[in-house]
Amino acid sequence: MNAEELKSRVVPVLLSGTRREPDAKLLTLGHDNKHAALNALSLASQALRFTRPPVPKEFAVESWPHDERHIVPGQMRSKILRLLDRCTDDTARALALALERQKLRPHPFDLPKLDGFVRRYAEQLGPTAQYWAQRDTTAQKSRGYFDADELTVETWIEAPLRKRVKFLKELRRRTPEAGRQLLEKSWTAENPDSRVQLLAALRIELSAEDKPFLESTQKDRAPRVRELARRLLSAVTGAGAENPALAVCMERIKKSKSGVLKKHIALKLELPATVKEHEANHWIREQFAEIALDEFARACECAESDLVDATRKDDNLSFALALMAARDGRFDLLGAVTDEIPDAWGRMSGLNWEDSLLDDAEQRRTWAEALIKPKKWLPAIPFPAWSWLHQQMEGPLPAPIMSEILSSAVWKDQLGEEKKGPSLEIIQAICALCPRELRATVRTQLEPLGLERKDKGTMLLDILDELESLI
Amino acid sequence: MPGISLEKIEAMAPDQASLVAARKLVKPGGWSGLSSDDAGLVWGECQGSGSSPYRVVISEIDAGYKCTCPSRKFPCKHNLALMWMRAEGKISFQTAQAPDWVQDWVRRRRSSSTRPTADDDEASKPKNLSAVTAQPSEEVDPKADARAAAARDRSRREREEAILAGLDDLDQWLVDQVDAGLAAFPQHAGKSCRAIAQRLVDAKAPGFASALDHLPARIYGLPEHLRATEALEQLGRLHLLAEAYRRQGILNAELRADARREIGWTQSRESLLSEEGALCVSGSWRVVGTVSEVQPDRLRRLETWLWSEAVVDGPRTAVLIDFVPVASGQTRGAYRTGERIGATLVFYPSARPLRALIKDIVSPAQDCDTPLGLPATDLAGAMAEYENALCALPWLSVWPMRFRDGRIRRNGDRIFLCSAGGDGLALPLMPSQAVTVAPLLAMERIDGFGLWDGYALRLSFAQTPLGPWVSE
Repeated sequence: MNAEELKSRVVPVLLSGTRREPDAKLLTLGHDNKHAALNALSLASQALRFTRPPVPKEFAVESWPHDERHIVPGQMRSKILRLLDRCTDDTARALALALERQKLRPHPFDLPKLDGFVRRYAEQLGPTAQYWAQRDTTAQKSRGYFDADELTVETWIEAPLRKRVKFLKELRRRTPEAGRQLLEKSWTAENPDSRVQLLAALRIELSAEDKPFLESTQKDRAPRVRELARRLLSAVTGAGAENPALAVCMERIKKSKSGVLKKHIALKLELPATVKEHEANHWIREQFAEIALDEFARACECAESDLVDATRKDDNLSFALALMAARDGRFDLLGAVTDEIPDAWGRMSGLNWEDSLLDDAEQRRTWAEALIKPKKWLPAIPFPAWSWLHQQMEGPLPAPIMSEILSSAVWKDQLGEEKKGPSLEIIQAICALCPRELRATVRTQLEPLGLERKDKGTMLLDILDELESLI
Repeated sequence: MPGISLEKIEAMAPDQASLVAARKLVKPGGWSGLSSDDAGLVWGECQGSGSSPYRVVISEIDAGYKCTCPSRKFPCKHNLALMWMRAEGKISFQTAQAPDWVQDWVRRRRSSSTRPTADDDEASKPKNLSAVTAQPSEEVDPKADARAAAARDRSRREREEAILAGLDDLDQWLVDQVDAGLAAFPQHAGKSCRAIAQRLVDAKAPGFASALDHLPARIYGLPEHLRATEALEQLGRLHLLAEAYRRQGILNAELRADARREIGWTQSRESLLSEEGALCVSGSWRVVGTVSEVQPDRLRRLETWLWSEAVVDGPRTAVLIDFVPVASGQTRGAYRTGERIGATLVFYPSARPLRALIKDIVSPAQDCDTPLGLPATDLAGAMAEYENALCALPWLSVWPMRFRDGRIRRNGDRIFLCSAGGDGLALPLMPSQAVTVAPLLAMERIDGFGLWDGYALRLSFAQTPLGPWVSE
């Protein structure tokens, strides 16, 4: 009996059992039944062990994208792995943004170890990372992997959502009609999240010409899209619909006049009795989310420039004004409001913004200058506020603002000798927000702190320095 | 003597927190008696939270370490700090003779650079406290020696008999399984294997018992359609081994040694090192893979696979095997894939020698960036080598495969190592490696090293255009 016969005749008998198998007579390999069975077992086993594994008929075609980014240098790989081991989101985000700026990508062999980081920041890490993050998703849900410096109308559809929204906003600013037409073309292929974010870009240069498209989106399957379309329609000049959100708000705003020599308008917002103090920020955001600053001023019969004075005595309404000013890009007004309520950014930070408020670096800079008033801060800025700030800035703060933060009483108080120092989360956020020119200052300030607190922060600074020195 | 580099310390640290904690100790203030014997041993005492200081010792030659602190991290922060101080070279260590506690540690260690000769006999003796305090000079008593030798012989005979009786029980158990049909075996493998393994433990055949204890996990690690066939292969292999053991008198010395070792007879380190005619191979060795696996007996098996960089007269692949209690928390050995060691290895006798001990270390383990010079053997050649080894050692379980011009490919959820040239060979990789090897799918060609168990390849090292890939 040769190996093939053993496999074809004996193995089936061994598998099905000599007790039931009528072909047990095949086991004629010993002087009794016991030895025959055991010898057959050994021989069949050896025959199988020499059988080479079957070769699949076909293999998957791998479609790893072409990635023009350079791989991080070998000596940085272990440092990056250590940095990302149990760091905060801010540290991870700062690293991802730095890699994006430097046009670098993680070493492909590190992708399994950095899986969470890569999935979260795939858009910043380039096409290979995007491919890795999407490798388990179905073909219908996955997008292309695109990392060109300049998007065009032709390549727009392939880019990550963040870049597409940015591109659409820029296009709307230049030629609103072309922007809308671009969106119309891809509309049916977009998922609900994309539809919400892309449709929101039509706020820019919104006009009556957008009305037919907005009306068509009112039948969208996603309630969020329908709601946004309704709000945009109501804002379209000539669309005829009054903003219902504004009407609701105005019912809760009391208007009066104060002053002796000169009468000033004073506005006061009455929160519903059911809204508790800690819920006020969320309620205000919900109510004022879709109210434009100019229509609010019109409704209050007050010039936009007078709104700050009018709301001065009501922190909640001032905060609502800050929200509207920030969203409408009225950073001059935002700066004036934050002079009155310097903790506005702290209040904003807890509001779960779904999308980034800001489109480009210049906008971020002016926004930060208007919002961040370190000299007026009160103690105890909570960590989420720092983290939110980094999320919105998508990078470091402008040097003058960071310099003010580092010399602010709030920060120095935390660094004081009698205290243990800021939490490691805040340290990491500060290091993530720190521009290159102030890293030495931060290092010096962190020097007296315990290693367990500052370790990740200083490691981040070192890695950012090293990454930026590669060019 | 080159010490342990900072990179190696980083690699050895169990986590970032340990490095941070160690860094705080990198100052002479908290230490006393920082010393070195200028031959690779460094020691000191570090004041911790306890009343007495922790005794810390490291071996720079093979990155060994020991600390008396109760930490469950290995190496602990004290070990790391001591290595760190040596690596930085900013702190002076006085040259001294190793104290007793350091020498004691050296004696107990598996291998080393260290001069293990006369002292090793001491280590092999049974330990008891009174011997430590009294240490009387012993006079040789020929009668006592004879009695002891007779007792050893009797014990040995009894064990042989017990093993043979156990193998008879194994035979009956195998017949029962075949009678019932092996297709159903995977459904009750855990319970059945545990019962017969226990019997074989009683029969003093721990190697066999361990193989049976492992079998369910091995079977369940395979796709369902392969489990029954794998059970057949493994049970047949065990019967073959049992038959070989029964007939060891007609086997050659190497094969007999293999059979006895598989059953559970052990050869002490000291005995192997002192054995005349034992196969020794000297040269530069590269670590091409490490394996860390928990066994059913609550021991962790740490394997370090080595590849000889020079063409030598003897085996070019070797494996160092250590066992540590799972409870100790140690999960990694002293070596990392990619490192280079200059050493003389002594191999356990075998028809296909693989397992070895380090006899002497000429140059300690150091990181190495130079590509590994693998022989021009493609995957088909590597498979042929495996089959030759299987002919020579029919109960072979794992075989090291080194190959050139391989390619990782995917079929559904399964990953395969194929020949880049497409010669009709595709070795499935271990399912647990599916994620870690995924980046290799983008490579057109790789050279590498892996461990083939007949069903799946554990890829442990690959040379690629993007640099070395390691499975750790």
